[in-house]
Amino acid sequence: MIINSNKSQILDFLVDAANVKGDCDAVYFPKTAQEISEILIEANKKKTKVTIAGNGTGLTGGRVPQSGIVISMAKFNDFEIDESRKIAKVEAGVLLSEIKSKVEEKNLFYPPDPTENNCFLGGTIATNASGAKSFKYGPTRNFINSIEIVLPNGEIHKISRGEIFAVDGMLKIGDFQIKLPKIQMPKVKHAAGFYIKKDMDLIDLFIGSEGTLGIITEAEIRLIEKPENYFSAVLFFDDEVKSLEFVAEVREKSIRNRNFDDEINALAIEYFDFFALQFLKIEFPKIKNHHKAAVWVEQEINSANEEILTEKWLEIIEHFEADIENSWIATDAKTRREFQDFRHAVSWKISEYITRKNFRKVGTDTAVPNDKFVEFYNYSRSLVESQNIHFVAYGHFGNSHLHLNMLPENEVEFTKSKEIYKQICQKAVDFGGTISAEHGVGKLKREYFELMFSDEEIREMAKIKKLLDKNLILNFGNIFSERFFN
Amino acid sequence: MKIVVCVSHVPDSAAKINIGADEKNIDKNGVSFILNPYDEFALEEALKIKDSIGADVVLVSVGGDEVKETIRKGLAMGADSGILLKTNAYRDSISTAKLIAEEIKLQGANLVFLGKQSIDGDNGVVGQLVAEILGFNSVSVAVSFNLNGDKIVAEREIEGGREVVETSLPAVITAQKGLNDPRYASLKGIMAAKKKVIDEKEVTVSEIGVELIKLKKPAQKQAGKILGKDSSAVPELVRLLKEEAKVI
Ligand SMILES: Cc1cc2nc3c(=O)[nH]c(=O)nc-3n(C[C@H](O)[C@H](O)[C@H](O)COP(=O)(O)OP(=O)(O)OC[C@H]3O[C@@H](n4cnc5c(N)ncnc54)[C@H](O)[C@@H]3O)c2cc1C
Ligand SMILES: Cc1cc2nc3c(=O)[nH]c(=O)nc-3n(C[C@H](O)[C@H](O)[C@H](O)COP(=O)(O)OP(=O)(O)OC[C@H]3O[C@@H](n4cnc5c(N)ncnc54)[C@H](O)[C@@H]3O)c2cc1C
Repeated sequence: MIINSNKSQILDFLVDAANVKGDCDAVYFPKTAQEISEILIEANKKKTKVTIAGNGTGLTGGRVPQSGIVISMAKFNDFEIDESRKIAKVEAGVLLSEIKSKVEEKNLFYPPDPTENNCFLGGTIATNASGAKSFKYGPTRNFINSIEIVLPNGEIHKISRGEIFAVDGMLKIGDFQIKLPKIQMPKVKHAAGFYIKKDMDLIDLFIGSEGTLGIITEAEIRLIEKPENYFSAVLFFDDEVKSLEFVAEVREKSIRNRNFDDEINALAIEYFDFFALQFLKIEFPKIKNHHKAAVWVEQEINSANEEILTEKWLEIIEHFEADIENSWIATDAKTRREFQDFRHAVSWKISEYITRKNFRKVGTDTAVPNDKFVEFYNYSRSLVESQNIHFVAYGHFGNSHLHLNMLPENEVEFTKSKEIYKQICQKAVDFGGTISAEHGVGKLKREYFELMFSDEEIREMAKIKKLLDKNLILNFGNIFSERFFN
Repeated sequence: MKIVVCVSHVPDSAAKINIGADEKNIDKNGVSFILNPYDEFALEEALKIKDSIGADVVLVSVGGDEVKETIRKGLAMGADSGILLKTNAYRDSISTAKLIAEEIKLQGANLVFLGKQSIDGDNGVVGQLVAEILGFNSVSVAVSFNLNGDKIVAEREIEGGREVVETSLPAVITAQKGLNDPRYASLKGIMAAKKKVIDEKEVTVSEIGVELIKLKKPAQKQAGKILGKDSSAVPELVRLLKEEAKVI
């Protein structure tokens, strides 16, 4: 097994896409669950902290070590597709982009798409990543049939969906009896803290647990048939209010029409505000000066319903007065990919901006119930505007999920941005929403996580971690502040 | 004024290509097809002329029924009509060029745009062949184009600079990336494209000059070598570039 402790060669493991920074003594590159198990047993003996590294695209500092060693999942590369059963066995270090292209060669499709495809499958399971298509398909969780996981004590378990459920508030794995806290998760897309539900499946506790309960080495993923074709359009609006009304209408129609092929039934509704468009203009000169907002919508179509659906889309798009002449419609896979790049460019440019300015990312990952969304959006924007901080707003508006990223110019603005950030999180919580709908809590968002649940509730969650990881070696610092273990 | 734009229907540039069982074709399973990217530049240039001085833009494509999908894309971008020269027979560049040239004559067009190359066959010659057959002037790999009356000023990228050429109609231009920024189809364009007709003409491929014997995948690239992370690796790098790669 390769172990690298040469500082100049492991710099990539000391940072993530949110520009959170850390330090460690060495990076281990195991190839098997057995090797991981041995590392963990040794680490328990020496009480060494262990941090798990996926591909570093995370946005919460989750993979950034504070001390101890890092386990890189980069050598877990096996990948096997079973076409007839529409499943694939994939090791944790396979790139999502590779999964996507390999299954598409077989006319199959893996829906989870966290915008950034340059991440490892394991990272997406650990954060229960979601993205544009989650509006229709839900998060990563929905496509995970089974996982192989190494618990912090070195035990290796295979957990299959549908086999072990909670009974009387208790879940069992090996000799561990896990008592489920009595908490209510918000009824929105949500990725902050453990997944807890009455009668829940054991596998769901581990998915989205941000590496605090074990290291995922392999998973069986569920595939679906590759859609024949897509209606994909980036629609520009000269009137912001109309663009938000359009979003609300398409969202409502789509939810209502989930089972109907011949009706508006979007799989993704992505939003870009005026500043996001300004931010992108240099690379995408087709954006016009008069455009105040853009909405990217997609729906699966086939040769039978293509015509009727195009007409239905045209009708609704005209009704909300999109700039029809200058909006973009994809006619093939290449143009569709260009729209994906357009969407990816916003998030990417923000990561680049904050890295260049050497700040940490100050971007919300908040989602609220649909009926509260416009109020929440307007509140958040006015708050930032009132403080004269530059920002870019976009997000998975189908899920009422807002990424409002502040772009501080200096230390004073950075401090101010963090205060505003907290107020926005509080508002999301007040509305029954979440402070993190997809990126997770990591080390960056613990303070906000604490707005969502009472100390008592968080302590109950932390007890699960303490039970499985009695020396608190694994991904320590993620989700829970230290005080919850005292 | 009538402008013909030749478009080819090619495998998506991002698709992983596998060779089919007959070794004469690719395995099309899971591969989506697109409008040849260089033909987008060709079409955009024609549409710009249409927008500024008016023109009738006609798409011409040689191939089987599947090619209609690509013609539709061109229509959605704004071309006025499409012609499918229908054949399922194997063709080389010259047989394709002959069929296209014949149609251009019939259309009476005196300006023709093509891509500089089709990303499947990659021969990059159909445009020049068409010009030769028709006896038209020709500018290949154009990165800028200007039409004034029947005078053409175009620029080509050459080693270390740009070559400015002047010529006149009738002419065949092959488009290179950078010529323009191709528009996306608009929703209205898509709706309108459904109503535009594609004229299908059965054609026969005459003689073939190049026989396709077998398709083969290129040899797998060797894994890259990391020589080091700082300046101490430079001497070894220089040595390898000189002795192994023989590029300096
Ligand atoms: C431009 C951009 C856009 C993005 N957009 C989205 C988006 O739309 N939706 C979304 O959900 N995310 C988004 N992200 C975030 C990111 O892509 C995800 O969080 C991703 O799932 C993390 O994968 P990774 O392999 O890079 O993991 P890392 O960043 O390396 O790790 C993430 C976390 O998972 C843990 N982890 C990694 N592998 C394992 C394992 N095998 N077992 C246990 N724990 C593990 C790490 O310790 C860490 O806590 C975006 C990121 C960028 C840069
Ligand atoms: C892997 C592969 C798969 C193919 N699959 C199909 C298929 O499914 N159906 C089918 O009919 N043909 C198919 N063909 C043939 C293909 O459509 C082209 O005709 C051929 O590849 C052109 O290659 P070239 O190198 O001669 O063109 P180049 O000389 O490189 O092309 C230059 C320009 O000529 C024009 N042009 C080239 N070919 C055509 C054409 N056929 N019609 C109109 N304008 C053209 C375009 O403007 C192009 O930019 C396939 C070819 C390959 C290599």
